[in-house]
Amino acid sequence: MYILEQLVNGLCQGSIYALMAIGYAVIYGVVGLVTFTYGEIIMMGSFSAFYYFIAFGDNLLFALVAGFITAALVGVIVHKVCYQRFLDAPRYISLICTIGMSMFLKNFATLVFGSEMKGMPTFFEGKFISLAGIRINYLQLMIMGIVILFSVGLTVFLKKTRIGMKLRAVSQDKKAAALVGINVKNTTLLGNCIGCGLGGVAGILLGVYYNSVLPTMGGMAGLKAFSAMVLGGLGSITGAAVGGVVIGVTENLGIAFASSGLRDVFAFALLVVVLIVRPQGLFGKKGN
Amino acid sequence: MIDKIKNFYTQHKTLVILGLIVMALILPLLIQKSSIMSIIVKMLFYVILASSLNIINGYSGQFNIGHAGFVLIGSYTLAILAQLNISVWILYPLAGVVTAILGLLIALPTLRLRGIYLALVTLGFSEILRLVALNWTSLTGGPMGIKGIPSPWLFGLQSTKPHIYYYIVLAFVIICLFTSYRVINSKVGRAWMSIREDDHAAMSLGVDIKKYKAINFMFGAFWAGVGGALMAPFYKFIDSTMFSLDEGFNILSMVIIGGQGTLIGPVVGSVVVNSITEIFRFADEARLLVYAILIISMMWIRPQGLAGTSKSVIANRGIGSKKTNIFTRIFDKKGVK
Amino acid sequence: MMSVLLQSKNISKHYGGIKAVQNVDMQVEKGEIYGIIGPNGAGKTSFFNVCTGNLQPNGGEIWFDGKKITGMRPAQIATLGMARTFQNIQLFNFMTVLENIKIGFHIHEKTNIFDAIVHNKRYKTDEKMNHEKGVALLEKLGLSEHAETLAGNLAYGVQRRVEIARALALDPKILLLDEPAAGMNPIETQNLSDFIKQLRNDGYTIIVIEHDMKFVMNLCDRILVLNFGQKICEGNPEHVKNDKLVNEAYFGKGTTF
Repeated sequence: MYILEQLVNGLCQGSIYALMAIGYAVIYGVVGLVTFTYGEIIMMGSFSAFYYFIAFGDNLLFALVAGFITAALVGVIVHKVCYQRFLDAPRYISLICTIGMSMFLKNFATLVFGSEMKGMPTFFEGKFISLAGIRINYLQLMIMGIVILFSVGLTVFLKKTRIGMKLRAVSQDKKAAALVGINVKNTTLLGNCIGCGLGGVAGILLGVYYNSVLPTMGGMAGLKAFSAMVLGGLGSITGAAVGGVVIGVTENLGIAFASSGLRDVFAFALLVVVLIVRPQGLFGKKGN
Repeated sequence: MIDKIKNFYTQHKTLVILGLIVMALILPLLIQKSSIMSIIVKMLFYVILASSLNIINGYSGQFNIGHAGFVLIGSYTLAILAQLNISVWILYPLAGVVTAILGLLIALPTLRLRGIYLALVTLGFSEILRLVALNWTSLTGGPMGIKGIPSPWLFGLQSTKPHIYYYIVLAFVIICLFTSYRVINSKVGRAWMSIREDDHAAMSLGVDIKKYKAINFMFGAFWAGVGGALMAPFYKFIDSTMFSLDEGFNILSMVIIGGQGTLIGPVVGSVVVNSITEIFRFADEARLLVYAILIISMMWIRPQGLAGTSKSVIANRGIGSKKTNIFTRIFDKKGVK
Repeated sequence: MMSVLLQSKNISKHYGGIKAVQNVDMQVEKGEIYGIIGPNGAGKTSFFNVCTGNLQPNGGEIWFDGKKITGMRPAQIATLGMARTFQNIQLFNFMTVLENIKIGFHIHEKTNIFDAIVHNKRYKTDEKMNHEKGVALLEKLGLSEHAETLAGNLAYGVQRRVEIARALALDPKILLLDEPAAGMNPIETQNLSDFIKQLRNDGYTIIVIEHDMKFVMNLCDRILVLNFGQKICEGNPEHVKNDKLVNEAYFGKGTTF
């Protein structure tokens, strides 16, 4: 039973990772650069929700929408500072820029919001349903629901709308996209904002799930998102989602069998093993 | 101005180096304050760490961002073995050897990876090592860390004071730079650089890529281990928080700010970064903001680093150009061979 | 009686369902200039890369100087004495011309990392050898003035010569040139042609891939023509020029489709 409950916990946590990874995959796909600022975007989303909850009451829906927008706005800054100028430059330049930006945002948050842990409101007061003896929190169900909603929404957006198609065109070939008259500059910015917005939403869910926000929460979250994306296969949205769930489940099952302090060890060990055995990731195509 | 300094340096190489060494030797006599001396010793640690990372990233074009993991192994090796009353003098090189072996173990399965994939594996290893150090309480003291690490004796003096420990670190810095210089100007170094520039061409000339990448990783890891081992007796205390990913990024930033692929770059990077973070120490938490702004503005103004190849060369086939160069190659190939 | 230096037996290379190279046999004899030609997409480059070990064939064998080299890695094959250049010039751009040449001597150096640190006799002999030979080689090819220039800063034609010089540093038994005349003007092409003939007179065996018919016809002793991955003709330039299949491959059948 305990193991099955850990599996449920893993699925829930994994779904949050999945949403983070999807956001990362959108950024990587459209902008084409690796970022280390993403964790801080997640943190900023989470913190914005913390203040929205204080200002406007415990309205989760509002917080999600406002958090998405806030994170997307931070994404604009990141884009201007770290990507826009360096899209054609050697890749390491923007990478280092994102490391600097990450450091900036983290310390900025520490200065402005304070370094102590802050509590998020509780939803559903720990109510749960029992399914064949396994306890599943309403909260967990809701989180998984929200993640599925956003993932499906994103997929529809990318497949069915004009803007979505532009985004996909830019992610496949910037030059060709420019040739058919797409404004690559703005589309890249938009893609980055959407990715960041999704990261912000995932950050809110993370904060609500653990009932806490911290300026330093982004580091590990960003790494998990990055790992999940690479695990699934670079730039593949389905891959990122699966990668996130796989990491979440592995972590929680790992806890079930060993000490909880080693939680992250399992995630990274899985990542390292997968990359060594199958470098293109679970869903990636083998490069040339 | 930077170019002028570089010209002067190339024209009077031996003179400049001799002058620097003499200055380095008499430095402790000029500085009375222990606190300032400590900062200088810290700079020297980072000279070794940044140089060792530069060997890997700058010379063979591999992309290691989890360098803190190697430093951790060096530090813990010394701290743990010192409890068995083994002389610290033996432990310095031994820690390097242990780390080099670990570097080989990491390198072997990852030799075919590159770019972002290799970066992520090194990052993963670095975090795994830190978490193991944090959780393996019986060996590493877990969250309590290891206290009371002994410092070695030098000419009958216990080297606890930074003024004395300085000379030990300085000696290792000189050996590190000297050996790196010699290796880089040999068959081995040329093979590394050929891999960095164009691995297909290197292969066609008979360069055994896997072998030289492995050697490169081991050499870099060795010096990272020695650097880590040097830190432990100076701080007398180590715990896993000293080797976080941020520490790895910190070392990486020094290499980039100084200029990767040049011997002097990491030295410059270490001195500049540590000076700035110390000058802004009064600003407390905000000093990391200053550091962050420094990193970003460097990338905007002089992405090749302070001591990096002059701008014209980069412009020739760097930004916006199709031709391969050392930097784009790191990421342009899809990462999988 | 000449002896066979490089031989391919029944080589095939597939990519998924596409048969890039099909059952190609080739015999290159010592001391000749051997041309491989064919229209775009004929499988020249695939075949070439199979010969150098950069690609593994799906079927067939490559023999080089009496040894079977299929399955060996490119670096191993290089140490046996096969040197190559690349279609799109792959020099070490951030290194000087002389350093580029010195890497060409890689397989002849015996220095290891410890020799380099202590500067022992082995290191000194190696460095002396590759410096002297490198300078001599540049002198011979008329590249001395560029010795200290970064390879990436050179003009295109000069880069091409440096790349060949780097391959020669290997002291190869055979030299494979992948589209050496690509992107060159007629004068440069003519100089290159003379240069390659000179190399042959110095005793090198040379394989040239080209799609420039004229260049190959004037240069090569024997020519292999590929089309759609298959060998359609082999022989001296005169023979190839008059071959019906070759003319069809290059100029069409004379009928409209």
